[in-house]
Amino acid sequence: MRSVTINPSKICQPIGAMHATLGIHAAVPLIHGSQGCAAYPMRMFNRHFREPAQIAVTALGEGASVFGGRDNLIASIKNVISRRNPELIGVITTCLSETIGDDVEGIVRETIDEIEEVEEKDVIPIVTIHTPSYVGSHITGYDNALKAFVTHLSKEFDESDEKLNIIPGMINPGDIREIKGMLDLLGVSYTILSDISDTFDAPIILPKPSFPNGGTSVAEVENCAGACGVISLCEHAGGSAAKFLKGKYGMRSDAICPIGVSKTDRFIEAISDITEKEIPYELEKERGKLIDAMVDVHQLTYGKKAAIFADPDIALGIAEFASELGMEVVVLASSTSSNAFMNAAKEISDGEILNGNDLYDLHRTVREKDADILFGHTMCKRSIPTGEDNIAFVRCGFPVYDRIGYYRYGIMGYHGGVYLSDLIANAILDRYGQHG
Amino acid sequence: MPLTLLNCDRSIPERKKHTYIKDSTEEVLPLCDIQTTPGDFTERGCTYAGCLGVVCGPIKDVIHLVHGPIGCSYWTWGGGTRQNLSDNPSFHRKYCFSTDMQEKNIIFGGEEKLYDSIIEAHEEFPEAKGVFVYATCAIGLIGDDIEAVCKQAEEEIGIKVVGFNCEGFRGCSQSLGHHIANDALFERVVGTKEPEYTTDYDMNIIGDYNIQGDLWLMEPLFERMGIRILSAFTGNSSIDDIAQAHRAKLNLMHCQRSTPYICEQIKEKYGIPYIRASLFGIEQTSNALRDVAAFFGLEEKAEEIIADEVSKVAPKIEEYREKFRGKRIFIYQGAPRAWHWVEMFREIGIETIAAATTFGHEEDYAKICERVKDGTIVIDNPNSIELEEILTELKPDIFISGLKEKYLAYKLGIPFINGHSYEKGPYAVYSGFLNFARDVEKSIFAPVWGMIRRRDAKRND
Repeated sequence: MRSVTINPSKICQPIGAMHATLGIHAAVPLIHGSQGCAAYPMRMFNRHFREPAQIAVTALGEGASVFGGRDNLIASIKNVISRRNPELIGVITTCLSETIGDDVEGIVRETIDEIEEVEEKDVIPIVTIHTPSYVGSHITGYDNALKAFVTHLSKEFDESDEKLNIIPGMINPGDIREIKGMLDLLGVSYTILSDISDTFDAPIILPKPSFPNGGTSVAEVENCAGACGVISLCEHAGGSAAKFLKGKYGMRSDAICPIGVSKTDRFIEAISDITEKEIPYELEKERGKLIDAMVDVHQLTYGKKAAIFADPDIALGIAEFASELGMEVVVLASSTSSNAFMNAAKEISDGEILNGNDLYDLHRTVREKDADILFGHTMCKRSIPTGEDNIAFVRCGFPVYDRIGYYRYGIMGYHGGVYLSDLIANAILDRYGQHG
Repeated sequence: MPLTLLNCDRSIPERKKHTYIKDSTEEVLPLCDIQTTPGDFTERGCTYAGCLGVVCGPIKDVIHLVHGPIGCSYWTWGGGTRQNLSDNPSFHRKYCFSTDMQEKNIIFGGEEKLYDSIIEAHEEFPEAKGVFVYATCAIGLIGDDIEAVCKQAEEEIGIKVVGFNCEGFRGCSQSLGHHIANDALFERVVGTKEPEYTTDYDMNIIGDYNIQGDLWLMEPLFERMGIRILSAFTGNSSIDDIAQAHRAKLNLMHCQRSTPYICEQIKEKYGIPYIRASLFGIEQTSNALRDVAAFFGLEEKAEEIIADEVSKVAPKIEEYREKFRGKRIFIYQGAPRAWHWVEMFREIGIETIAAATTFGHEEDYAKICERVKDGTIVIDNPNSIELEEILTELKPDIFISGLKEKYLAYKLGIPFINGHSYEKGPYAVYSGFLNFARDVEKSIFAPVWGMIRRRDAKRND
């Protein structure tokens, strides 16, 4: 194993926590770190979603780094509240504040007490999210954020409201819309924890609202305890929150990433099982349309050697779908190393499993395995010259910004599967032609 | 009092000192180059961004190794959003190197990991001519001695290994990072190599980063005059170019915020004078060519080139000027472009009604204030809430800024052009000016702006 990382497969934790926070209505992520820790992720959101992202930073300087970031954090919380009037603040730590060793919870508590004393009213929820950049990756940050939200905000309930909690993970607005579409067809009411489908895909209508419309309200997060169950779509980015909800409130919990036919089947069946709702014919029809799309392209896809790189749950989902399309998964690579990924990957593929390796390794492996088609994001494309290597390329994951609109479309569910199937087939056509 | 407090700043009154409405009867400069108000939604970046992201990143044949947790390296990969192009794309901007510090390295120190990483990176890319090591926040706190590690590694691999103590928390903006980069490059690289030959017409262009190929438009103009560009700092440059920069006869300083340090140092140590230039727009470019020509005694040749170039672009620029007449712009840039571009916009008939910089110093604000009319708002380190207030209140016809502000402007229905990494550049000198004006036209006159609807207040549920 090399010491040096060449072309990283992962980002650090804070951006995942920002992603999760920005799915809550009128929430402000407050980064406790240096200015770059906010500016850089902001730019990545801008590039991927082509949307603004408003993120505050405590702007720790040299003094704070020696004497602690207490004063900066207190001032920041007060300034964010007075100038933005948000409904929630997520205080997101960084390698800097974690290494300084600030007692962030203590400082937050103290600030809340002080404001409440002066203002004589309750302060909005301020949730501390620990995201040391030197542990895990962006999805760990998302996982930690969601766990912090449900732990901090969920309230004991009198009786179940029969809603279903869905924890999406770092997926796209288009994916969330696919999930909502299926839940609507099933007649299931739900809470998406947290929901970026409108906050990161907002319309232009003047006057611009102070915060983007949409997102999960704080009240919805507070009430998530009363749900009949929780499903995390990406276990690595949301699984900890699901585990907490199951442990504390006894709700049923499952983790399914509905990409491809069988995973979507399992997703629908699990929901039907938890909510006791019948599966409507409309969903059968959507399934049938996906099968139709797959039949249309099987001559193109069958036998193609696929290399798949994404966050672990997404990678496993795409790999299963690739197998359903008759492809051979020769490389299956996760952005972030995990035992769960390793075990699941071995079930799906006899090929090379890369568990958190960098993209320099991935490139070598893709060449060694002579892959025909590669799945990955924009940085993956930058690392691997698919044109030079004569490999078809399908964009997926985060970030994708070298093409327009990827975030708008979902690859999850039956309907999203049609889109993914088309993407795959068109990538093959573009690279190899009709008879390739 | 021409200093003003925006409505959104009522709870942070210290911002008043940063917000000046130009008044020639009461000239003050907005307060600048100080720590950001915590939690004010600043658009600033960090010292690391100024060092690697701006100054060092364009150097095309060294391994840029980021020492720290993974994120910092990821953000500057390929220049981040910056389009600092080079002619070595199969290496430069393609690869990203990091020590990917883990918790145990933070606890027990990362020197060994750094050393191994330098050696391994060199083994993978033996053709790289140097290794630049950038310290990030956590490294500054745990106290890794990167200087010592770099020295040891340099002895081992036999190419330059240069450390940069550019931890993000140092300084108050990207600006200190520029300075740190200048100092280290001057100390460790400049003067370490002699050019194959020298001429009486050798010049360096200092402070141009070849954004979308700006430099590739500048260089030929000087070359036609008979000048040899010995070294560009740092657009499309090799570490060897920087190493021989001390043998030029003149330094032409373009970005006057990120490079005055090295120009001064070179002047002091090697006696090379420098002149400041704006290579944007017709008049400023012509002035720069004249200044350089006067230094080298090439006036006649310069006038020929100017006449030729101007004749090629002037008619088209005149058309744009007619088309844009009366339009108003808000310019928000890192620092010097805010004042470089006031003039450039004036040449196409667009008046500046607001100007701001992320990390400008007093010098930059003095230049902005010299160039704008009374009543123009000049604001230092504007945060996103202030930007929204200014854009909403002043309703400029166009806003020029960077990616972080782009989609805010769009959501407010305000035409926008990216001045950091450009829309479709290059934008420098004469031919780039045409690209620039074309992109301004596209932004202002796109039909889509006319289709935006206002929502009936009564329906506001």
